[in-house]
Amino acid sequence: MAEELSLEALRDEIDKLDEVIVRLLDRRARCAFAVGRLKQAQGLHIYEPGREKVVMAHVKAVNASLGGPLTEDAIERLYERVMDEARRIQRLESERHNAQARETES
Amino acid sequence: MVVVMKERVSGEQVEHVIAHLVELGMDVHRSTGASRVVLGVVGSGKVDPRLIELMDGVHEVLRISEPYKLASRTFKQEDTVFNVGDVRIGGDEVIVMAGPCSAENEAQVNATAAAVKRAGAKVLRGGAFKPRSSPYSFQGLGEEGLRMLRGAASTHDLKLVTEVMDISQIEVIDRYADIFQVGARNMQNFTLLRELGRTRKTVLLKRGISATIEEWLLSAEYVLAGGNTQVILCERGIRTFETSTRNTLDISAIPIVKQLSHLPVFVDPSHGTGRRDKVAPMARAAVAAGADGLLIEVHCDPDKAMSDGAQSLFPGQFDRLMAELRIIAPAIGRSICLEPVARRGWAR
Repeated sequence: MAEELSLEALRDEIDKLDEVIVRLLDRRARCAFAVGRLKQAQGLHIYEPGREKVVMAHVKAVNASLGGPLTEDAIERLYERVMDEARRIQRLESERHNAQARETES
Repeated sequence: MVVVMKERVSGEQVEHVIAHLVELGMDVHRSTGASRVVLGVVGSGKVDPRLIELMDGVHEVLRISEPYKLASRTFKQEDTVFNVGDVRIGGDEVIVMAGPCSAENEAQVNATAAAVKRAGAKVLRGGAFKPRSSPYSFQGLGEEGLRMLRGAASTHDLKLVTEVMDISQIEVIDRYADIFQVGARNMQNFTLLRELGRTRKTVLLKRGISATIEEWLLSAEYVLAGGNTQVILCERGIRTFETSTRNTLDISAIPIVKQLSHLPVFVDPSHGTGRRDKVAPMARAAVAAGADGLLIEVHCDPDKAMSDGAQSLFPGQFDRLMAELRIIAPAIGRSICLEPVARRGWAR
């Protein structure tokens, strides 16, 4: 299907897909932010290697079922970036929260 | 910094390192390669790379940013230029500081000051408190020496640089000198550096005899951190295996430091070589390599000098050297002694 389209049409398609991807990343980031708040409230660590493994296994399985050109390693590299950013969102929120707590204390 | 994990590490080892770094407030970017995992670590948290390197599964830790901040080019892009009275340090003009190793008596100090002024020096150097390798060597005249040096400097319209060895000398030297010199042996005397950081007088910081450039810049950081921004770095030779000179003058330190730091860099070819006949070639090389100034020992009668006579130039040799430097400096867009004193009627 895709290979029959012209260069212009393909690029148009990529632009549309990117929009969907960014919107989905945004939704994912909001979830990660909410998770960060819950971790904060429950005194859990930001970095949960066990959970990251589950996420990684899940996305690899989904990818494998599609049979496209993205290899398992490629998905791993991409998702490492996604999880790096999720951790960062949670760290920034936790720092903000702690700073606020200190302010109200003093 | 970048943490490179060993080949074939377990997932737990990687997780342990990441967990530790996250706990320290860092952002970790994990990259899984075919045989190795590399962690990119960024953030403002305080991390000791050596401690990370000791963790299980870590192959090596590479630091990316310099440990010194205020002395770094990253912190301040443009060269630092400042005035000591009417003498501009770090500008286009190469500034020469010259004089005897030690102040010995009125006549010697005056005759040497007159000679270096005539040749084009802008600052008189001379020691009153001498850090000698042996406690039995001549230790300097103390405040009496400072009085002589100040008198000669003022008479001949020169600024004065002299060495401060100890916190207790800061007050008295401050009264006489225009520039504090910190000697090679004191480069890591952190209490002294911190105290000089509180003053608002120029500090000429010599490189320690076995100091790396990074250690040298960290010492400058101590002075800068106290709010004293007028720091001159002075290369004076480092200890190597070579014995034909006293120390090996590290000419390459000039362009390296100029790249890493915005501070002016001077060179002392006298202590670096320890021999009179090597002083002029090294001084020429230093100017050609981009030094902002020189610190040279000149004695009106070197053979009778009470310290370091062998490395002191005769006034005539110093004269000749200055004439050569006036030819070299323009080749790299610098000048030296803009106002040759000869024009004012001091011609030989």
